[in-house]
Amino acid sequence: MKMAKYGGWAGKILRVDLTSGRSGTEDTVEKYKEVLGGTGIGYQVLWDEVPAGTKPLDPANKIIFATGPLAGTGAPCNGRTAVTTLWPTCWPKPLVATGHMGGQFAGELKYAGYDGIIIEGRADRPVWLSIINDQVEIKDARSLWGQGIRRTTLEISQQVGPETVVAAIGPAGENLVPMSVVMNSVSHSAGGVGSVLGSKNLKAIAVRGTGSVRIAGNKDEWEKLVKFHLSLLGANNQHVVPNSPQPWAEYYNPATRWVASKGRRWAAANPAIDTGSCDPHELNRLAYRTNNAAFFLGELAWRYTVRGNGCTSCPIRCHTMLRVPSVAAKYGIKEVGQNTCSGLQFGKAFFKNFPDGPRGQTQIEACMVGMNLADDLGIWCNYGQMQRDFQKLYYDGTIKQKLEENEFKSYSWDKYEKGDPSFLFELLPRIAQKQGELATVLGLGTGYVLEKWSLSEEEWKKDRRLMYWKMGHPKHHANEDAGQCGVIINTQYNRDAQNHSHCNFVRNGLPIDVQKGLAREIWGSRDAVDAAGSYTPMNPYKAKMAKWALLRKELHDSLALCNWMGPWVASPLKERGYRGDDTLESMLYSLATGDKKSAEELDLVAERIFVLHRALTIRDMGTKELRTQHDSIPEWVFRDSNDRPVYTKGTIHLDKDDLNLALDMYYEEMDWDKSTGAPSGETYQRLGLAKIADHLGRKGLLPQSRGEGKDVK
Amino acid sequence: MDEYGGRGEMLEKVIDSLNNELNLSRRQFLKISGISIVGISTLEPFLAGANTKPVIIMEQAEGVVISDPTKCVGCRRCELACTEFNEGKAHPDISRIKVGRNVNYGPKSVYAGEGAQGNWGGGLVVQDLCKQCPHPVPCANACPNDAIVIGPPLNARVVDLDKCIGCKMCLRACPWEMISYDSETNKATKCFLCQGKPKCVEACPASALHYTAWNDYTNKIPPRVVPTSVMPPEKAAACNLCHKK
Repeated sequence: MKMAKYGGWAGKILRVDLTSGRSGTEDTVEKYKEVLGGTGIGYQVLWDEVPAGTKPLDPANKIIFATGPLAGTGAPCNGRTAVTTLWPTCWPKPLVATGHMGGQFAGELKYAGYDGIIIEGRADRPVWLSIINDQVEIKDARSLWGQGIRRTTLEISQQVGPETVVAAIGPAGENLVPMSVVMNSVSHSAGGVGSVLGSKNLKAIAVRGTGSVRIAGNKDEWEKLVKFHLSLLGANNQHVVPNSPQPWAEYYNPATRWVASKGRRWAAANPAIDTGSCDPHELNRLAYRTNNAAFFLGELAWRYTVRGNGCTSCPIRCHTMLRVPSVAAKYGIKEVGQNTCSGLQFGKAFFKNFPDGPRGQTQIEACMVGMNLADDLGIWCNYGQMQRDFQKLYYDGTIKQKLEENEFKSYSWDKYEKGDPSFLFELLPRIAQKQGELATVLGLGTGYVLEKWSLSEEEWKKDRRLMYWKMGHPKHHANEDAGQCGVIINTQYNRDAQNHSHCNFVRNGLPIDVQKGLAREIWGSRDAVDAAGSYTPMNPYKAKMAKWALLRKELHDSLALCNWMGPWVASPLKERGYRGDDTLESMLYSLATGDKKSAEELDLVAERIFVLHRALTIRDMGTKELRTQHDSIPEWVFRDSNDRPVYTKGTIHLDKDDLNLALDMYYEEMDWDKSTGAPSGETYQRLGLAKIADHLGRKGLLPQSRGEGKDVK
Repeated sequence: MDEYGGRGEMLEKVIDSLNNELNLSRRQFLKISGISIVGISTLEPFLAGANTKPVIIMEQAEGVVISDPTKCVGCRRCELACTEFNEGKAHPDISRIKVGRNVNYGPKSVYAGEGAQGNWGGGLVVQDLCKQCPHPVPCANACPNDAIVIGPPLNARVVDLDKCIGCKMCLRACPWEMISYDSETNKATKCFLCQGKPKCVEACPASALHYTAWNDYTNKIPPRVVPTSVMPPEKAAACNLCHKK
């Protein structure tokens, strides 16, 4: 057998045309090495193959499931698959965006021999895609159509085998509800893309792989590197400080997700398991540090915790498996459920109140009912925006005003107001089935809800509690976590920013003085970071941090490392001065693939990928004026409900002029034109994207060339 | 040194472990062995007479990996460590510890219904491990090429890659389905205990695996399958020397 030149990559991309029923493979390294994998491949395919003006549900739209060279290896936190397509909930015009699922899909796809799958066209009847190593078949899915994700997974697994990883859509995706997901391994979803698969009549992708991912470098060096990486891990979101005092710990911080402690038990394990003090040097206790059910739902959740769960290869188990016996009798649902963060709170987040308060039994039951329904019907929450919208629309009377009386009365609003989780059985199936005005509208996503019901986006942008940012999507770690840096990051994408590079640093739990010391080493100055809610005016180091955060996100999404866990620039190790290692990604990449790249060289690849996203956005918006037409900041960022002055301790609001300066500094750091926020021809050239510059130039979508437009300071 | 060049001691150890079940006295055993004690060594088969093929009797292993399913979090880092740190490739399908096959539905697979375990069932993830079986070692005796031998320093039952012809008979013989076939090398592979520092144990982030002194788990952990009878008849005949009353 001829050995491939590079390790890491499986070596092939699978391309499936559902219109013709044909499939074939392409050489990953030959065609996509310069963009690594993941979002890089996704953006590249959309640029090359999906013309501007294509609509998300057109057969001409494509959807790309891509992992990267580290997926399936033993590098920690590599279970990610990026799903790239034209985004159905991006408003007012669908643009490129990505969803990211963990679970077991990425590794299994690599073991089957593929780095990614490009799905194109539309099948003439419901189908599912069976991938068993090099056997690829398009199968009849008519008997699965209409079924939930759980049943679909079971029936496919009965055919292919118990190890099969099935990524499926539920009825929501089938019915082309824009707020829908594709989901694998019980609870791991890529939000927002279900209807794109539904429009292609593709119910599921089932993968089974028995092959391997080769490590190109020396295996003993690889073992050392993996153990080094493990030694730098914190808890979920790379929180490196425990949330309660521990015998080994210099610091603790009640806000972190490192919740393990003696006496806190996975009480629904049989018998119960004490999470213990989890000294960071005990790598055999990594999995006990995190319990996101306890973090999000409170102490009561420990009682119901069976264990942590999560992705293949990840020692940090951010999905928590809960067993809540009362829900079986009360609601007729399975007593075991699992998820994390927004998915965990899907059901709970609809309600304003619960009879026993925000940390009681009922909120946990609402979570169980919500997961049971949403993760089977395949409904997306848009990072909780659907639920925040719902609360607002109900309590301000909009729902009552917009619905016909009969429809309004068909909901048990008394149950809703009381916080009775059984209300979810009335609402969620109707969203998936597009039944009635309310459910149909909610399923559109915020931008289109506002449009359909003639509501003002400005109102959404004023209300901090709604957490709405722009283009139909919410903030995701913005000024509440990282001041100007968080704001810049939230202006850049066509959905919520999904970036954790910055917040995983500023929320890591270390005292601000230690953080500032690390910041000086990483971004050149202690002033790169402020304590959350204790902000200072903009400076160039914050722009450097923003650029770094954005590039690391795209790097992770393309290598298939988890940006919910990385980067690893801080660690729980006192003897290292709490330093992590900013070159970890390049060491892992170089050793796994055999393509030696320094951190700087790899960041340049990440920049290429990120600028590709920018170019796609410019091309499909048909304007280069992104600064004014795309990179917007909602009004709530500039307001404080108590009228405290900006930079006062305790307020997270920021100054408008200062944020203008922030964008100036950011564009400068990115080497983009400041007046438009668009990359210049020279920038594209520098990143090896000259062809893209040519294309945009012909369309008048390049800013003035340098020298004419750029300030010289 | 005894008349068998020290091998008698090893035989005594073997007989001691067999004693309870077979009810043989040491004297009886040595009598039997006296007619056949030709090729016993740590690596060579026990030859049992002119008309029979060798039956393999192995010294007991000294260590074994055991697991606690209630702690397993299903991350499969053990499988990755097993293959990456030993072979330099991530290849869970040939891992010598097997978790992936139980992660979704548990050992009873997709047909378990209400009794399902794993992520889609009640949550329990069972780790499957090699028992380093005492005599008769099913995989070793099934091998037509005597390619499963004991390896130093722990007497782990290991595949001799030079002898293995990739026929997969051993895969069918193991009641716990612990032998893998590596389609990239066309050889069988099984747990060899990593010289007493098993990579899987070291890799578990939930302390769910332990390396311990050998103990006989073959009658404590239920088999996954009824193994296909693959012992060559000539070998089976040799068994009668000890087992036929």
